Amino acid sequence: MRHPHLNARRRTAVIGIAAATALGLAACGPEITSDEGPTTGPGSSEPPAENQLVAPDSPEGEITIWDRSGDLFEVFEAAIPAFNERYPDIVVHHEAVDIDAKLQNTLITGTEVPDGVFLDDARVAGYADFLWNLDGVLEPYLGEIAEYKVDVNSTTEGIFGVPFDSNPGLLYYNAAALEDAGVDATTIETYDDLLAAARDYADAVPGSAPIHLEQSPFLAQLQLEMFASQLGTSIADADGELRLDSPEYEQILTFLDTVQSEGLGTRAEYLDPTDIAELENGNQVFYPWAIWFDFAPQQLLPETSGDWRAMPLPAWEDGGARSGVMGGSSFVLPSESENADLAWLFYEFLMFDEAGYTSVWGPSEVYPDGLNTSIPSYAPAADPSEPLFAPVEALGGQDLWAVATEAGEQIPGTVPTPSWWAGAVEYLGNDLQRMYDDDLSPQEVLASSSEAIQTNLIDRQ
Amino acid sequence: MAALTAARTRRRLAPYVFVLPFVAIFAAFSVYPLFFTARLSFTSWRGSGAAEWVGWENYTYLLTSSAFWSSLANSGILWVLIIPAQLVIALLAAVLLNSARIRLRGFFRVAFIVPFVTPLVAVAQIWVVVFDTQYGAVNGALNLLGLPDIGWLTTTVWAKPTLALLFIWKTTGFIIIILLSGLQSIDGTLYEAASIDGASRRRQLTAITAPLLRRTIMFAVVLQTLAVFQMFAEPFVVTQGGPYSSTTTAGYYLYNHITRADLGTGAANSFLLVLLVMVLSLVFVRLLRAKD
Amino acid sequence: MTSTLAPRRRERPAVGSYLFLIVLTLAFLAPVVWALLSAFKPAPSIISAPLTFDPSTFTLANFTAMFEDVPIGRGFFNTGIVLVTKGTITLFFAPLAAYAFAKYSFVGKNLIFGAVLITLMLPTIVLIVPLLLEMKLLGWVNTYQALILPGAVDAFAIFWMRQVIAAVPDELLDAARVDGCGEFGIFTRIVLPVIRPGLAGLAVLTIMNIYNDFVWPVIVASSERMATLQVVLSTLAQNITGNRIGADYATVTGELLAASSVALVPLLVLFIALQRHFINGILAGSVKG
Repeated sequence: MRHPHLNARRRTAVIGIAAATALGLAACGPEITSDEGPTTGPGSSEPPAENQLVAPDSPEGEITIWDRSGDLFEVFEAAIPAFNERYPDIVVHHEAVDIDAKLQNTLITGTEVPDGVFLDDARVAGYADFLWNLDGVLEPYLGEIAEYKVDVNSTTEGIFGVPFDSNPGLLYYNAAALEDAGVDATTIETYDDLLAAARDYADAVPGSAPIHLEQSPFLAQLQLEMFASQLGTSIADADGELRLDSPEYEQILTFLDTVQSEGLGTRAEYLDPTDIAELENGNQVFYPWAIWFDFAPQQLLPETSGDWRAMPLPAWEDGGARSGVMGGSSFVLPSESENADLAWLFYEFLMFDEAGYTSVWGPSEVYPDGLNTSIPSYAPAADPSEPLFAPVEALGGQDLWAVATEAGEQIPGTVPTPSWWAGAVEYLGNDLQRMYDDDLSPQEVLASSSEAIQTNLIDRQ
Repeated sequence: MAALTAARTRRRLAPYVFVLPFVAIFAAFSVYPLFFTARLSFTSWRGSGAAEWVGWENYTYLLTSSAFWSSLANSGILWVLIIPAQLVIALLAAVLLNSARIRLRGFFRVAFIVPFVTPLVAVAQIWVVVFDTQYGAVNGALNLLGLPDIGWLTTTVWAKPTLALLFIWKTTGFIIIILLSGLQSIDGTLYEAASIDGASRRRQLTAITAPLLRRTIMFAVVLQTLAVFQMFAEPFVVTQGGPYSSTTTAGYYLYNHITRADLGTGAANSFLLVLLVMVLSLVFVRLLRAKD
Repeated sequence: MTSTLAPRRRERPAVGSYLFLIVLTLAFLAPVVWALLSAFKPAPSIISAPLTFDPSTFTLANFTAMFEDVPIGRGFFNTGIVLVTKGTITLFFAPLAAYAFAKYSFVGKNLIFGAVLITLMLPTIVLIVPLLLEMKLLGWVNTYQALILPGAVDAFAIFWMRQVIAAVPDELLDAARVDGCGEFGIFTRIVLPVIRPGLAGLAVLTIMNIYNDFVWPVIVASSERMATLQVVLSTLAQNITGNRIGADYATVTGELLAASSVALVPLLVLFIALQRHFINGILAGSVKG
């Protein structure tokens, strides 16, 4: 049931991305959606005028839906009967597919194109050339969807993904261990408070290093973007111009560098064996991460399960936003598919119909208490007072729904993720690690990453 | 007379017929993409839309990019870590396997070739598990000896040697067999004459075996140089080019352009690589020939 | 042909030699043996006790879990189809063309062979994008012909067979001609039988290459229906680490080792059965001193 982003380590180990990521990524020039349709794009030779998806006249036919194998596949599979009650004449072929490896090849070659695909938010903009523009069909719902979630699914042309989940960043902490050490975590409101609490804990528990410092370059960069999102910024602005070398990023890196240099950080890869050992033995008690960290206390931390709690992230200054976004996915509808309009009905039902979103986030065979690794991005579904999933046992029965939905409301708006984001890991993600190695200062990280990303990625678009 | 002419005509035409099926496949699936790639290397193309002609821009970008040079350096270091060690091991093993004094030669030959026939994807997974810092068998053995853990695949110092070890493990068996074939073609009477003249076995190795084996060794070195500079699957499966790009080989760096949709630069990079490999091959051929 | 290094008068037990060979054997076999044994251990003990094997805990759990998660049967089936067709095409047309390169002169010979040598030095991944677009033009995406034809009769096979056939004495071919043998008859009746060892060597190398190839199949055969064994194997890691409920490091490792074992056994068995042909074949094909 791990979240998509947990694949970071292995995801690169799938070669399909090769030819794949290649094609169509950055070439989303405006002429692609002009009235004549795409001029040359290999994957979109027969687009309808303006590439706008129109809802179907008669809900009847067959659709092929791709999802990642694993927990979410099971969740959506279980929701199909409810959909068929509403639309009995649509047959859903639901396939578990290694999407990162296969989607791009399929879109480029235009062969056996699925009608609907589950996709990382960070990848949606890059595929826009090959997708239906959803401005028209999503119009009735846009006002009710988390602003940042609409932003990441949009390009200057329009919105290209049906927003799925919201993944607010939270501060997970080991309440039992902190209490034993006499540290009151509940009063933490800013990152300075967090530093102070960490120092107290380190004094009380010799050998401990209370705050998680991510060792995977990919996830470290994703976490950095969560912190930045709290401050309303991101690696690039809406025009794709780099804005890394800024006071906001310097503030974040200075905080991380302080954690490192004062010995307050446990450096490990997310939930690898070392990380788990340090979480279990009480050396690591603060984990600022997306909501989906709750997988760990539920599945991987038998010793400390029940000791963990979640709270909104600390703010960067008094009164600042208490959450940022880390990861998340949406559904896209390829323009070369046969029945994308019917697939739209499927996603419309799952995301915006009470029967649909209840069956997704509510109790299911896979998640007896409900799908608690994310919350809906559609506001009516994410009502803090009407939880879709039950309190989480592994968090001592805490009402994670309330914590997460309230945090989710605080996430500032953002801009689409640039198509070169994953390529930047080689520079920014690696430089972050060098900072944790004590080889680079925060200022040096920003300067050298900015320069490298500009020359090697942006200038070569 | 007429039959003879007909036979001659047939003989003249036969080679065209014989190469035709190969040439058809070769032209369609190697030469055509090759020309496509050559043209691509002078353009900026991201996989869709029109390609923009940029002249030598991709080449100049690469030649002034530190990442390009460090990918070559990484491959160069791997070459140094791999080739000499592999040659020494393979040469020793081949000489022993060629010696009538050694029993069980058949068994050893099979044992040595086993790594060569195991699928790389499977081997690479084994490598990842065995060399894991925390839970790998290798560090487990080190701990038994009272030694500390080593970050085999996670530190810049050790990742290259660990990858080199994988490559050596995987391909040495093949090199042993190639060297063995060279040894078997050496006339045995040379050794008899030498031993009658009182030459020691070591002396025989340097005076007879090594010089006569030069062409075979050259063949092996050229083959392995090609393989090391094109090495892609090993870092792809085991390290994904990390940590900190320390195992981003020339072949893997090439792949990075492709994942970034920078297809023109990828094409230019591959031609630079071909040029380098060609020059290296010629150098080895010269070096090994010159000593005659 | 076989020579002896050992002069008669200095016969002594070669302890050092055996030691070297045994150490090398252990080093070469240990990882494979370790993987095969570990695949039969309970998953948690693969990481908690990597160096021991307790027969009383023998289990097939890793295999049953893996077979449940992974369409490995389909992978074997597709690999089998590709292996037979691509292998046959390569093993017939490569020697035929190489025969022309080695024993005839014809217009364009050097040009074509030069092109063969250049392809040999070209990293294969760089051809993948143009090839994929070509497959789209031909409408071959997700078909067997896309898995079979590109890479069949490859440059290495030509290079290798030319080496082998060059060693066949011209007198033999001329004698056959005098006896009234046609050109193709000479190839099938004289050349093919003579080069059998070299061909066997190429056969094993070709089988290995086809069986182990994964870059091209992942890209051109994206549908699960068309996945070859190596594709199944290389995507397995992602599928199980990424998504399975409760998948932890040990379980994942167990399934990976089980799948790896299943994938490596057929080739290992084939090789041990054919090892004499293989080794003699490589002896025939490589450059002699």
